[in-house]
Amino acid sequence: MKNRVHTVTFLALLFLACMAEIFAQGIVIRGQVTELETGEPIPGATVVEVDDNERVIKGTITDYNGNYALQITSIRNQLKYSFVGFENVTEEPANRTTINVQLSSSMIALEDVVVVAQVTDALSGINERDRASSAVKVDMSDISKLSVTSAADALQGQVTGLDIVSSGSPGSGAQIVIRGLGSLGDSRPLIVVDGIAQDISRSSDFDFGSADVEDLGALVSIAPQDIKSIEVLKDAASTAVWGSQGADGVLMITTNRGTKGKTKFDYNYKLTFNQSPPPIPMLDGNEYTMLMLEELHNSAGVFDLPPEIAFDPNYGDFYNYSANTDWISLITRTGVSHDHFFKLSGGGEKTQYYASVNSSNETGITLNEGYKRLTSRINLDYTLSRNLRFAVNFDFTNSYQDGNWYTNQDVTGDGNRERLTVRRMAYVKAPNMSVYEYNNSGKLTGEYFTPLESFQGDGEIFFNPVAVADLSERDTKTNRFQNSFVLRYRISKKFRFEETVSFQYEGRKLSIFLPYSAIGTDWLDDNVNNAREQNNHNQKISSRSLLIFVPLSNETHELSGRLMFQVDQYKSDFTQITTRNGSSISISDPSAGALVSNIRSGSSETRSLGSLLSVNYKLKDRYITSIILRADANSKFGSNNRLGFFPSISIAWRFSEEPILKSLSWLNDSKIRFSYGQSGKQPDQAYARHGIYDTPQNATYFDGNVVIPIQVQLANLKWQTIESYNLGIDMSFLKNRIFFTAEVYNKLTHDLLWENYDIPSSSGFDVIGWFNGGKVRNRGWESYMRYYPVKRKNFNVGVNFNISRNSNTFLEFPENFNNIRGEVVANGVFPRQANTGQPIGSFYGFIYQGVYPTNEDAFAKDKDGRFLLDANGNKIPMTFADGTFFQGGDAKYADVNHDGVIDIYDVQYLGDSNPEIIGGFGSNISYKKFRASFQFLFRTGFEIVNEIAMDTEGMLNRNNQSKAVLHRWRRSGQGVDDSYILPRAFYLHPANNLGSDRYVEKGDFLRLNNLSIGYSLRNNSFVRRINIDELEVSMNMRKILTYTNYTGQDPEISQRMEDPFWFGTDNGLSPTPRVYSLIFNVRF
Amino acid sequence: MPGIKYKLILLSFLIILNQGCDWLELLPPDGLVVDEYWKSKEDVEATLLGAYQQFAEMDEKLFLYGELRGDMIRAIQAPNYQQLIKNSNIFSNNQLCDWEDFYKIINYCNSIIKLAPSVLKVDQTFTELQMTIFTSEAIFLRSLAYFYLVRIFKDVPYITEPTIDDNVDFFIEKAESEEILSFLIEDLNSIKNTTPPAYSSPLKSRARATKAAVNALLADISLWNFEYEQCISYIDEIEDSKLYFLMSTSTWFEIFLPGNSLEGIFELQFDGSGENNSMFDYTYNFNYYSASDHAIQLMDPEISGEQIRGPGSISGENLNFRIWKYAGAAADQTTTRSSALQEACNFIVYRYSDIQLMKAEALSQLGQFEEAEAIINEIRGRALLDPVKISSSPEAFEDFILNERAKELAFEGKRWYDLLRMGRRNNFSRKNDLIEIIIQDAPSTQKLVLASKLSNPLGWYLPIYESELERNLNLTQNPFYDNDL
Repeated sequence: MKNRVHTVTFLALLFLACMAEIFAQGIVIRGQVTELETGEPIPGATVVEVDDNERVIKGTITDYNGNYALQITSIRNQLKYSFVGFENVTEEPANRTTINVQLSSSMIALEDVVVVAQVTDALSGINERDRASSAVKVDMSDISKLSVTSAADALQGQVTGLDIVSSGSPGSGAQIVIRGLGSLGDSRPLIVVDGIAQDISRSSDFDFGSADVEDLGALVSIAPQDIKSIEVLKDAASTAVWGSQGADGVLMITTNRGTKGKTKFDYNYKLTFNQSPPPIPMLDGNEYTMLMLEELHNSAGVFDLPPEIAFDPNYGDFYNYSANTDWISLITRTGVSHDHFFKLSGGGEKTQYYASVNSSNETGITLNEGYKRLTSRINLDYTLSRNLRFAVNFDFTNSYQDGNWYTNQDVTGDGNRERLTVRRMAYVKAPNMSVYEYNNSGKLTGEYFTPLESFQGDGEIFFNPVAVADLSERDTKTNRFQNSFVLRYRISKKFRFEETVSFQYEGRKLSIFLPYSAIGTDWLDDNVNNAREQNNHNQKISSRSLLIFVPLSNETHELSGRLMFQVDQYKSDFTQITTRNGSSISISDPSAGALVSNIRSGSSETRSLGSLLSVNYKLKDRYITSIILRADANSKFGSNNRLGFFPSISIAWRFSEEPILKSLSWLNDSKIRFSYGQSGKQPDQAYARHGIYDTPQNATYFDGNVVIPIQVQLANLKWQTIESYNLGIDMSFLKNRIFFTAEVYNKLTHDLLWENYDIPSSSGFDVIGWFNGGKVRNRGWESYMRYYPVKRKNFNVGVNFNISRNSNTFLEFPENFNNIRGEVVANGVFPRQANTGQPIGSFYGFIYQGVYPTNEDAFAKDKDGRFLLDANGNKIPMTFADGTFFQGGDAKYADVNHDGVIDIYDVQYLGDSNPEIIGGFGSNISYKKFRASFQFLFRTGFEIVNEIAMDTEGMLNRNNQSKAVLHRWRRSGQGVDDSYILPRAFYLHPANNLGSDRYVEKGDFLRLNNLSIGYSLRNNSFVRRINIDELEVSMNMRKILTYTNYTGQDPEISQRMEDPFWFGTDNGLSPTPRVYSLIFNVRF
Repeated sequence: MPGIKYKLILLSFLIILNQGCDWLELLPPDGLVVDEYWKSKEDVEATLLGAYQQFAEMDEKLFLYGELRGDMIRAIQAPNYQQLIKNSNIFSNNQLCDWEDFYKIINYCNSIIKLAPSVLKVDQTFTELQMTIFTSEAIFLRSLAYFYLVRIFKDVPYITEPTIDDNVDFFIEKAESEEILSFLIEDLNSIKNTTPPAYSSPLKSRARATKAAVNALLADISLWNFEYEQCISYIDEIEDSKLYFLMSTSTWFEIFLPGNSLEGIFELQFDGSGENNSMFDYTYNFNYYSASDHAIQLMDPEISGEQIRGPGSISGENLNFRIWKYAGAAADQTTTRSSALQEACNFIVYRYSDIQLMKAEALSQLGQFEEAEAIINEIRGRALLDPVKISSSPEAFEDFILNERAKELAFEGKRWYDLLRMGRRNNFSRKNDLIEIIIQDAPSTQKLVLASKLSNPLGWYLPIYESELERNLNLTQNPFYDNDL
């Protein structure tokens, strides 16, 4: 009964409302908007009709004379008058039909309108000021003016505890590690863009042989100018809201949005030159030939002179083998990049918009490598009413990475296959070979010189790097699309609801082609006209419902809570086809009638559910507590371990607000904070836990089908959990001119996830897909300081300094884990050990002591320096583990146990690859229209294995060597007073190039990472005349100065712990270039 | 109004949570998960064929294990790791020391033996008899794999449980070779009567385990154990079946092309299209190996007068002495196999002349010289050689049979085990003869040192692969190789 009354009343009201609408039809309000101060009319001012909920019903814009006419729907509604740079005015129409309004100019400067306070993080509900966990926010408004091509470049050296190592090849991402290596394999942080996690997952049978590590690590390709801020979440209390993915930290990227006001255009052009650091000087053809003759002579005594190095004019290939080719300079060039960025933003009462287009075209420092990218972004905000708002984000990236073919081969003879890129080959390729082929009378034939079998060996392995760079293809085309929709609804004063739906899609196509003419091979060989095409499609749909309640909010108490529920679905599939022996060197399409080498395809799907409950409480703006409980369930786990539970708590005391301290004028906002939390990590592959039976490559045997087990079922797979404690202090002094923060942390990884964990092959399998076991600890401290010594209207100086230290330790290994790896001592090999209590990345090797000057010196001595004698009183020769006697000119290693044999027992600890202290410092100066800034970056306390030196100074194979070998032992007696002399050249010597401290160097460096100078024209009569708000020209230089004792090309070596035996080597694949750019920026 | 909204939201939460558990249960689109497998007899047979196929894929390894350290082949362009073994320069990081392929077979067989009985309950068309036959075949293949392992590595982990999930104990210690062999004899005897004497086709009877194959393997193991009476009794059983014969002189080469002849007892099958034998590449195409000087002396018609087996085994054209059994189209040495058949030659594990010579060896060791001589002369007669009279001593017969086996079974992966039997017999009384053969390919400077080291019989076996030792702390290296590292 009561219900019916309600219904009737409701209907009646509705009817009345409609009537009111009808009655209001036809009421037209006219008027003029003028400036209060001058009385001048304001053209383009906004006039809108809004209802009680501030929902915009209708609107118009004043004409050139400031006049407007608006037909309103209801006289009960209000009229709102606004214009950029003026205070808003609201009028009640009542019974008036003419309303003239005067607007007074607001105090807010135009510039500041751009900054819209991002009040709180949607998920945790904590605003930046009250945060008790460890996170750093970097505003990108300044950084966007630098010549960076990615967000990672911009962050390098700026944030404590964040270690970024950039890469030299265009389009490949940087390595990012937050607070040390906490996971095996990939410690890459989770990247979140505008609240949407950017997952990179993969199909279980995805072919990793052809995928770059960098591909997976690439930072989401966002134009840096689109980025408003980046927040680095470091401890588990702050990453806990991301629960299942945040174990290795989170990078939260916020993009720019439109703001109310006049439409603004912004155009930005960057011209950048990338210059390769000076390469290691290599031998020329004549020096190389001499070295080879010596190498062969020393090893074989009398030998048949190979014609390639015999200088024999009657030899058919004489002209092809008497060149002086500088392979490295032939494949190296100065990279040039052009970057255009255009954006437009603005908005009215109802809608704010931001749209941008960025096109970037970069040529790499290696011949025929490059990167092109086109991105566009549209961010829209729409206010339906005070209670209902929605936002739409849309972005699209199209990129094209142009690379060169490479192969995986063992070129140095140490048994390890390594990636043999064009650049790597340029180092080892014999310089006496010519680039182009000569006929036997010395005339160029116009073809690349690619013999089937050269002096160095197989023409497929020792390819012609220039030919491969010119003719081969390894191109990746990527299309990335992301769309998200956010609806915010204010249910009541205390409750709000937010729904986010997002869709991500990535399509990637890799094409590889190696034409016959690029390598030396028989025309029936598998590599001839080898073409591959691989297509990947990944898509993710996720939705998130968030209920926010604020039951209490007054002067003393502030209590709020959030309840979130999230559903994610991720799908990925790929197809790959490889064909060979295509009919033409110019048809790179694998479908063009060639022999099929293999066809592969696969797909995978992952689903996850997450929920979160968080409660924040603040008392008197001084005592702050926040509790987050997050639970996640993921289809990658079996039902027994599916649920992961990640709690966290953080507390803070803002002591500066205490009454006693509040009176101190020099002390500003300061607090002490503590946090504890957990977050998780899951395996990468979707179906790792299943025991799978499948058909092998040959699907039949004799007369029946074959099905075999290919994957072991994982009954014990569970979440990897990272637990972290953080204690920090934030202090501001002197009207916030000094800001200081310091933190200590302890981060423990439990149930470490191992991918493809080795098991004894007596089980019938090599590996189990994933295995949980062991414990890793990262602990350290961080400190950051910012100071503005000068802060005036026309002159500003800011300095910043940050330093952090992390120590990484394996606390526990899995049961049955063998901590010694590689007991065979051989050239190019460092025996490895992993010990509990020691940092990861330790390496072991021999102690190098120069060379034996004469044969007489190569006898074993006891620890007092006396010769060891055998039973007959003869001196015992120094012997290598395989029985070879050392002789004059051979490398001398410390015989630590004085037994006359150089073997595994003489191996000593040599160093570790973990940087102890990283940091940076810099300054920003602005004086009137000038602006300058610089930023230094340092990394200290780690050792590098200089693998490129090891490969180019060994003199025991037919690879080209560096100029350093010109100072080698050549005759008996050399090297007595010369500790820099290198051992003699000896073809295939078993011990002259052992893993020793000869190749271990300190990697400490200090680098001028950024230097930028700019001049800006604003409010200048010239620019005004051409209707431009601002014109700015700046110069930027990156990585131009490096102070280091490291002798290799670049001491910036990435950290990536594939296994506990990992250590960092410099293999010189892609040195980071020096970057010079010219930037031109115009706003109108 | 708001109340309804909360209820709706709450309700949808509950629905999603309830369905969540099923929603998160995702199965891979490719392949079958364990729970879905082992549901029909086809599943059992498919995995059994997987074990056969895995054995077949090891053809070049079976060849290398059986010939490398012997004296019948010479390395021409063989890969470095193979040459290192050939030159007795053996380190535990040599990839030929990797036993994984054998254990793959063992794991497939263990899965069948353990899980096939459960399929009986699910698949009504699967008969008890069928199940027993499949299981017996699996036991045969597993035993063959272990017998190879014992002869190559001596003591190895003996595993009879399948690796189904990560709860399995992966870290198994080595078992004594004698113990493993006694298990094998027990297992094989138990399946002797459940393995069919023949299958539906003569081809299948050579491709799959038969009673004769089981007996041949038993005879081989007994001979290795120097249990001569047993050896003879197993071979007698094969003879009694009257299913296997020596091919005639004129059809001798048909043993190898087309293969699956009346003489074959168990052969690993290749069809050359998909299932490719590596031996054509090894012995002809890539020219990794050719006949050794010793083999040429034994078989070259100009030197030893061998007519049938000489040119049938090695081709002397252009003095390159290629191994002909896997490359030739006929014994005339003029044409190689046609391209479709190049990679289609079977790898023969047991054939009738092999077990006949085993029997002769057992008989002569028991002092039954006349019977042994009769068998030898039959084999020789087939090869158009004159009968011989061998002086009545076990040593004389041993030498003669070794040579006869070398010629008859040349390059079939048998020689090294024959030599090992000789070296081990009568408490290593003739080990120096074996050592001399091993060191003949070693560098001259190291021969003396090597000879004295190899007087330790443990050096006749390969070391455990380095990475396997690293993965399994419960394994101990063959002590012979301990000091080399």
